[in-house]
Amino acid sequence: MAHCGEILQGVFFDKTGHLHRGLITLPCPSLSTTADFEPAGEKISVFPPSKTKAAAAARRTLAHLGLDGYGGKLTLSSNIPIGLGMGSSTSDIVSTINAVANAFRKRLSPETVAKLSVESEVASDSIMFTETIVLFAQREGVVLEHVGAQLPPLSIVCVNTAPAQTVDTVSFPPARYTAWEMEAFRSLLAMARKAILTGDASLIGRVASASARINQRFLPKPMFSEIERIAADTGAVGIQVAHSGTVAGLMFDAQNPNVEELVHRASGALAKIDMPPFMQFLTREAEYRYAC
Amino acid sequence: MPADSRSFNDLELPRLFRLAPNLFAASFHLMKLLPARYMLDQAERDGRLLPGGTICETTSGTFGLALAMLAAVRGYRLILVSDPAIDEKLKNRLRELGATVDIVEKPSELGGFQQARLDRLAKAMSENPGCFCPSQYTNEDNRRAYGAVSEWIASRLGTIDCLVGTVGSGGSMSGTAHFLRYLNPDLTVIGVDTPNSVIFGQQDGKRLLRGLGNSLMPKNVDHTQFDEVHWVDAPAAFLATRKLHQRHGLFQGGTSGAAWLVADWWAKQNPGKTVVTFFPDEGHRYVETIYDDDWLKNLANWTGSLPEEPIGVDRPQDGCSEWSYFHWRRRSYDDVMRSILQARAA
Repeated sequence: MAHCGEILQGVFFDKTGHLHRGLITLPCPSLSTTADFEPAGEKISVFPPSKTKAAAAARRTLAHLGLDGYGGKLTLSSNIPIGLGMGSSTSDIVSTINAVANAFRKRLSPETVAKLSVESEVASDSIMFTETIVLFAQREGVVLEHVGAQLPPLSIVCVNTAPAQTVDTVSFPPARYTAWEMEAFRSLLAMARKAILTGDASLIGRVASASARINQRFLPKPMFSEIERIAADTGAVGIQVAHSGTVAGLMFDAQNPNVEELVHRASGALAKIDMPPFMQFLTREAEYRYAC
Repeated sequence: MPADSRSFNDLELPRLFRLAPNLFAASFHLMKLLPARYMLDQAERDGRLLPGGTICETTSGTFGLALAMLAAVRGYRLILVSDPAIDEKLKNRLRELGATVDIVEKPSELGGFQQARLDRLAKAMSENPGCFCPSQYTNEDNRRAYGAVSEWIASRLGTIDCLVGTVGSGGSMSGTAHFLRYLNPDLTVIGVDTPNSVIFGQQDGKRLLRGLGNSLMPKNVDHTQFDEVHWVDAPAAFLATRKLHQRHGLFQGGTSGAAWLVADWWAKQNPGKTVVTFFPDEGHRYVETIYDDDWLKNLANWTGSLPEEPIGVDRPQDGCSEWSYFHWRRRSYDDVMRSILQARAA
């Protein structure tokens, strides 16, 4: 599965007062990678051949399963754009790890998948956790906190703020936060917990906007203040960004009865500043919480 | 032996009370515990304070008490410089906690007791090489400590519209406002000062209400955080403190009364907005003063009645002896003073 960047990315204190880099991913269920692994021989072949990181992840997964001598044919197909910060690379790797395990009728826990994923590409997002929302240490491959069950239902309007530019997540230098920012992330995480606990879309929007503003010091999104103005004018609950990418999204409360009208107005306003949305998606069906 | 360094965790954060549909109080046992603990933690972390070391500070108030509690638990020597105005019971408690309380007997010829205390502090520091001086008025860690209070507000209330609190060192209000505004740039912030305090531009003078206001400008006041400033006089603050107790059962000190007076008024003016106000300490220290009817009746300017609303003023200097307010509009101190000079010239 892809993601549309993060709700929150920063540094967080654990119970012993140590800091960890961490993030809360905003999953995008409508884009994904499918991986297929056919065990054969000792070597690993991959198609398309450019997916060398995925091939390395397959090798690592085999080693983890105690199948060092095995190989096979790995085939990937993905509709996730590359270089926008939408997790195309992690999605390849996670689907590869699951496909390899599946080929040998094994199931790996999300925690194990996360560890293998980070070993394969230094920094990883948390799309392997499909059942809960986690605060994930993207460079350690561990869960810092299970924040809650699910995000409030949101409708996201995605734009690419710098179509001519791609960002390599892995080589992008980690942000160096000030002592003030380090303390500020406490409040952002507390509000994220509250938003997820109470299903409050407007609170999660505030968290995302605050995190996006802090990130402007590290990887500024062009036209950010214009996007903020459009968000305010069209009743968006917030703005979320790919903290190491170029994608940004206006967030709308999917339970707002006028959400389609708001999304339509926002899309028009974004097109007017030469930033036409390339995608719109629901984080989950708004009716879901009543259905179950 | 030094106990767990987090032994005061449960005392640091406030308790939440709903005083009106849109008004919440964050009530502290002793607010200064949080910044004092944070300043010591940071100093320990970068080696400015070593195990068994000495802490020197000038204070006659609750910051000294917080330092003494922490020093006792963590095994530090503590030297507190104060003057004859220090409360006798507080002095006894500080000594009980093992602190050396050094009382400056005479004001210096220039700068009065404040300067005499600073001179004595400089002497104490030179006599104790390697000692740590927390300097609550200038140390940024004082403000940064309030990230934990902003976190607490976010976790208990989500987002709020207005924060009201008294300003003394500048730490609690400048710090909390800074952190809350990451999540709500539109937050309204109201500082509560008292007449004859220099913080928001009045002339220095004698002040009966303690625990807020200042005779010198603390660097930790970030003036650009404040939308509105109120000056609450001692009789109004004391009456409000009593009314807070009578009506809500909350037994607080005088600064809490001043904060509640302003917050309650603003909350009534803005019924759709959620307001949080800080209560910095409890009432036990004020049993023989604020909570004593005879003591109150002998106060200068005592009318026995609480004004219904503040007087709006056009410039801080107009802050008369009564409850008044001024639209500060998040400007720097210099900007406000300049605009007043320009208005006068025109």
